[in-house]
Amino acid sequence: MSSHPWHPIAASHDLPFRHVFHGQLFGREFAVWRADDGYVNVWENRCLHRGVRLSIGVSDGRELKCQYHGWRYSNRTAGCTYIPAHPADAPARTITNRTFPAEERYGLVWSSLEEAAALPRVAGLDDANLLVLRGMPLNAPAALALAHLADYRFQPNNAIDSKEALVSIEAAEGFSIALRARSGSQETLAVFFVQPVDSSRSVIRGVLDRNAEGMVRNTILRHHNERLSALRDRVEREAAALPAAPPIEPVYESVAPELAEMPSLSASGRRAAITVQVARKWMTANDIAGFELRPIRGLLPTFQPGAHIDVHLPNGQIRQYSITNAPGETDSYTIGVKRERDSKGGSSCLHETVREGDLLAISEPRNNFPLRRDAVKTLFIAGGIGITPLIAMAQALSHMSLLSELHYFAQDETQLAFPERLATLGRALTSHLGLNPQATAAKLAELLVDYRPDMHAYLCGPAPMLEVARRIAAEKGWPDASVHFEYFKNTKAIDDSSSFEIALARSAVTLRVPAGSTILEVMRGNGIDMPSSCEQGACGTCVATVLEGEPDHQDVYLNDAEKRSGTKIMTCVSRACSARLVLDL
Amino acid sequence: MITLYDFELSGNCYKLRLLMSILGVEYKIVPVDFYPGREHKSATLLKLNPLGQLPIIDDDGLILRDAQAILVYLAARYDASGNWYPRDNPALLGEIGQWLAFADGITATASAARLHDGLFYDLDVEAARAGAHRLFRILDEHLWFGQQVGRDWICAADHPTISDIACFPYVLLSEEGGISRQDYPAIRRWGDRVKRVPGFIVMSGIFPAGPARAI
Amino acid sequence: MREMTSIDPVTLNLWYPIVAIGDTKPDVAGTTMLLEQPIGFAVGVSGRAAAWSARPDLRAGDTVDASSVTGGLPVKTAYGYLWTSLGTPAADIFAIPQYAEPDRRNIAAASIGVNVSAPRAIENFLDMGHFPYVHTGILGIEPHTEVKEYDVEISVDGDEILATRCRFFQPMASTVAQGGADVEYVYRVPHPFCSVLYKSSPLDEKRMDVIAIFLQPMDQEHVRAHMMLSVLDDQNDDTFIRRFQLMIFGQDKPILENQFPKRLPLDPRAETPIRADKSAIAYRRWLSQKGITYGVIPVAA
Repeated sequence: MSSHPWHPIAASHDLPFRHVFHGQLFGREFAVWRADDGYVNVWENRCLHRGVRLSIGVSDGRELKCQYHGWRYSNRTAGCTYIPAHPADAPARTITNRTFPAEERYGLVWSSLEEAAALPRVAGLDDANLLVLRGMPLNAPAALALAHLADYRFQPNNAIDSKEALVSIEAAEGFSIALRARSGSQETLAVFFVQPVDSSRSVIRGVLDRNAEGMVRNTILRHHNERLSALRDRVEREAAALPAAPPIEPVYESVAPELAEMPSLSASGRRAAITVQVARKWMTANDIAGFELRPIRGLLPTFQPGAHIDVHLPNGQIRQYSITNAPGETDSYTIGVKRERDSKGGSSCLHETVREGDLLAISEPRNNFPLRRDAVKTLFIAGGIGITPLIAMAQALSHMSLLSELHYFAQDETQLAFPERLATLGRALTSHLGLNPQATAAKLAELLVDYRPDMHAYLCGPAPMLEVARRIAAEKGWPDASVHFEYFKNTKAIDDSSSFEIALARSAVTLRVPAGSTILEVMRGNGIDMPSSCEQGACGTCVATVLEGEPDHQDVYLNDAEKRSGTKIMTCVSRACSARLVLDL
Repeated sequence: MITLYDFELSGNCYKLRLLMSILGVEYKIVPVDFYPGREHKSATLLKLNPLGQLPIIDDDGLILRDAQAILVYLAARYDASGNWYPRDNPALLGEIGQWLAFADGITATASAARLHDGLFYDLDVEAARAGAHRLFRILDEHLWFGQQVGRDWICAADHPTISDIACFPYVLLSEEGGISRQDYPAIRRWGDRVKRVPGFIVMSGIFPAGPARAI
Repeated sequence: MREMTSIDPVTLNLWYPIVAIGDTKPDVAGTTMLLEQPIGFAVGVSGRAAAWSARPDLRAGDTVDASSVTGGLPVKTAYGYLWTSLGTPAADIFAIPQYAEPDRRNIAAASIGVNVSAPRAIENFLDMGHFPYVHTGILGIEPHTEVKEYDVEISVDGDEILATRCRFFQPMASTVAQGGADVEYVYRVPHPFCSVLYKSSPLDEKRMDVIAIFLQPMDQEHVRAHMMLSVLDDQNDDTFIRRFQLMIFGQDKPILENQFPKRLPLDPRAETPIRADKSAIAYRRWLSQKGITYGVIPVAA
């Protein structure tokens, strides 16, 4: 019937900020919402978890929250960023709601049930000057509404009260019809798009080729509303006499197989999955460069606060950087890079070689530093460039009006990165400037003095500061499970002199790890896929579950309790004290 | 202190809880076993309201029945701002009266359909649903044209009035009677606005809105 | 009379509650729907009850001697409700032993119509994760949203699902102590469309209150939900307890009525389970294994 699959599903004025519009096309329902950054999201109207309509959910301007279990879905990507029932877990990245294309034009919001070429232009309509009529829903099939629209009579904008105008059909294509009314020297083009809502429901959406102001505008809108209401009544009477077609039953896509059971590890390695462009590079603080990375095409994957990406550098190195973005800020990733004096080339390459407009390869975001949002109070403690994951976290909690404090230790004012983001935190932010190691320790002791149940602390900074904080937290009665660390890197000397055997329980293979090789390398060499990122025992990506045997922990990712329990191992650096390790792989 | 004879799932009782919460008026509740106990038809309650309906209030001996009438009383008596029922604005009072009567129509249709589906009242549910859709079309059109001239509320004022409170509950509960609001986008937006009135409270069946965008 | 070909035998042979005894008038006929069949019932002065199908001569409100109805459907009274079956039911309805304890208050709280399938309603009843979002400030409150690990088993002898060691943070958990605390729950699903929940009693820490939901499927997507409480509460009157129960159920209702599809999909890939949904996963498998096709979308063969 139509040469293109685009249909209007709402008017632009149906989408004020923080509202979720309930739309439908060919029986398939949509939750439609405009994020605070203006982006229009058209999503399947169904939470992936238990099928509840998202149109009854809450838009906070950045994310849409399901009313049933509070699952949060991000602006643009529709990826799930938080599952409150499991606050310690990062949701699998593949939990992503179905999205549909969205285009705003002619004062209407357009979508399509299939991937479609660009929305075609409509002759005679100009975005800069038009008047959108009130949408007229009717209980009748679209075809019937279209048939009656051919006989629709109306007056030109400036001749509402003049003698009845002559109306001619200017064009008719698919689900639309363009009519021109002429009266004397006045004429107006009205284009009507009929939105097929379901087998026997539709909406007439009309657009006039000229805007008007004040009372005249109101008069024109009422004129059409009256006549379209009369048309609706005629169409509905006719439709009522027809045999009713059953509603279209939309087929819902199955979720990914790995989500049908509780998630296992996803594949794989240090892959550069995405190409981004450096849209902006600037010095956000002394020696710290900010990089805003935009996708070349399509959307960036969903990220959660605390997540990092691998950046594949032009010099062949791979480095990890935390995403600093606030929730729903999904059009780009912003990272901060400190120029390291003893840089082996990673930071200096980014500082000196990479420029705005350059392309970089990055990995999908990975979150090994997930943020719980069920604390009665959360402390964030950042040392220097350790601010980057914590600023994303602090913004997330601040946005949800959850109580948190961000303590930012730095040399001086000029070292404070991302001041524009820090400013959004208001009184939650305290900076501690120019403290020597003793003063830093004293301040940490002060901050960590008062542990209460349901408090959590997140720390990221240089290793010596984290070690001090770890000791103080333990002294002050913080349980390991309530203090979360992220190290920039593993500064411990790795002892890889041991040799031992690993048995992979699920793969049913046994392999020998010789001195000088890592578990990860041996597995990769035998074709066993394992995701990894930093490959120095800091980021947590290559974790495996230990079923038997005693690990020789050499990482800085697992906390003491986790290390003592002997049930997890970082396969990139850690080894075995026992002759054999059985891993759940 | 005001005593409200109350049934939790009654939209008409909720109108009063809502307005009293917004106005910060203290009150206490006498729970009435409206369903399944039909206590509103008991001799004790019939003495207070011979029509055998809820809500009823007792304000220091002044006994009033009928949700809309009590909204008028509460706003006239307890609203210091004078906005919810503007006693010195005849045109607005007329408009409010008109929409209070409209709210009765919503009760007779949308609420009736809900009672049928949820509490098994024996009535012509198709007629009730059709009647509710007729009213919702009128309300949606009214609110849409209001929005075109920057008016957020049912009556021509820059603030809500008791007509918004009177129409709100059974419109927002309509889906429990099988009446979808999908075709009434202006009503759905107005619902969000009512939910953001300071002092707003929910009842079973009505979810809160998120915060508005900071301007 | 409609054909009953779409009803699987397990569903057909189950006992179903149809009305609270307390909501009937002696020897006055009532009508309702069960599995798409119009049925009638009456409870006599003596307590004798009858139920029947296909009797257009007996309308709601007619006087009928319940003890003289012949050729009717099987009936039982249990837990304050009248139960019947359209097939050949088992000898007994599942047991709730606490119901007989002398110091308990047994209340047939209410029967509410919900536009949803029976299994969706059961699954919601088993779910704790929604407490902070749907029963805000009452059964849960943000940020205390975690569903802690719990155990689920399908008991071999009883043919029922049992979820134990369930705990969830509840604000104002106790009438004695201030503030919130974890409350303990045990869930049973002893019947495909009935569930019994045990919740630690605020009055006696060694015992548990019982809250049960019995669903009467009017058709695949519409139910009457009958609620029964057996509580250790000597302070509040029935009206107060009912009000609380109606408020809670009234909060669940718009969620249930906004779930799609309305019938419960048994294909594991239809929705996204998380660890917190262990009991729901077990329930879906159990329905599949039993061969129930009513009110569900069976796994495609």
